[in-house]
Amino acid sequence: MKRRFSFHKSNSGEIARSRLKLVLVADQAGCCPGLIEGVRDDMIGVLSRYAEFDCGKVDICLTRMECAGTGELVPTLSARVPIRQFTNARNE
Amino acid sequence: MSEVIVITSGKGGVGKTTTTANIGTGLALLGFHTVLIDTDIGLRNLDVVMGLENRIIYNLVDVVEGNCRMKQALIKDKRYPNLFLLPSAQTRDKTAVNPGQMRKLTEDLREDFDYILLDCPAGIERGFQNAIAGADRALVVTTPEVSAIRDADRIIGLLEAADMQETDLVVNRVRMDMVRRGDMMSVEDVAEILAVNIIGAVPDDEDIVVSTNQGEPLVDTDSLAGQAFLNICKRIAGETVPLLDLNPQRGLLLRLSDFLKRA
Repeated sequence: MKRRFSFHKSNSGEIARSRLKLVLVADQAGCCPGLIEGVRDDMIGVLSRYAEFDCGKVDICLTRMECAGTGELVPTLSARVPIRQFTNARNE
Repeated sequence: MSEVIVITSGKGGVGKTTTTANIGTGLALLGFHTVLIDTDIGLRNLDVVMGLENRIIYNLVDVVEGNCRMKQALIKDKRYPNLFLLPSAQTRDKTAVNPGQMRKLTEDLREDFDYILLDCPAGIERGFQNAIAGADRALVVTTPEVSAIRDADRIIGLLEAADMQETDLVVNRVRMDMVRRGDMMSVEDVAEILAVNIIGAVPDDEDIVVSTNQGEPLVDTDSLAGQAFLNICKRIAGETVPLLDLNPQRGLLLRLSDFLKRA
């Protein structure tokens, strides 16, 4: 049996806030959150043909961002991939 | 032998989803192969209460419509080896599925699971009819409030009319301090009014909010609500467990001040 909650003291309201942000963006975009994982794996596959990078440091997430020009908030897929070096050749 | 149990209430907001998540997790902890089905099409919630929202790819409607195989849609909870979730669809409505399809779905799951738990939507319309269609047994969740009890009575009537084999009551959000003051109906009062077997009473516990925030059911913690849920699981499995004392453990000073106030 667990002793209450492992991180009882860390503010669970904050955890709720960040979980909800992700869920609501996914709901509004009509996308299954699980699909993001698939997108991540596929992107890693494609990018690895052109560059060397640490897969563990790839950060891909769905957020809401202002659309350039209109300023409207839209679901936005953002990817951060720290590159070690480009291979300058297309590896197949 | 497998058992299909629907968790229902009529009224919304009494704790059906929390109850489903905790009883399901508890049954898995007791060693039973358990699957939870969110039947609230269009308003899915069991996934977030379970903390499994990021793992959804296929859902209940996909299975019914044959867009995927059952195995592809079932999410295995990595924290508990016996526990699975079949999430609901968020972008469809209750008419996407009919009672016959739900009966078939639960029949298929009987082969692989000991317990199949259905989290029913609020209301008595199509969603309710879908959820109860394949069930052997119902747990009606209520709180000790007049509106919730009235709706529970209506639901119990509808379950009888639908020939549900067994119906038990879960009294949720009991506040013993208010019961003692005479400002809340006791579990016994509720049992007497509804004339149905009480399978457990769960105290109103702050830890429920914390657990939902974190997406971790509290049934395997030492919180009072967690113990109450685990006791319900044991009773479902046929054990005889005495009713839990819902009075929270209080320090000597507080108890002394209570005593002085009463004196």
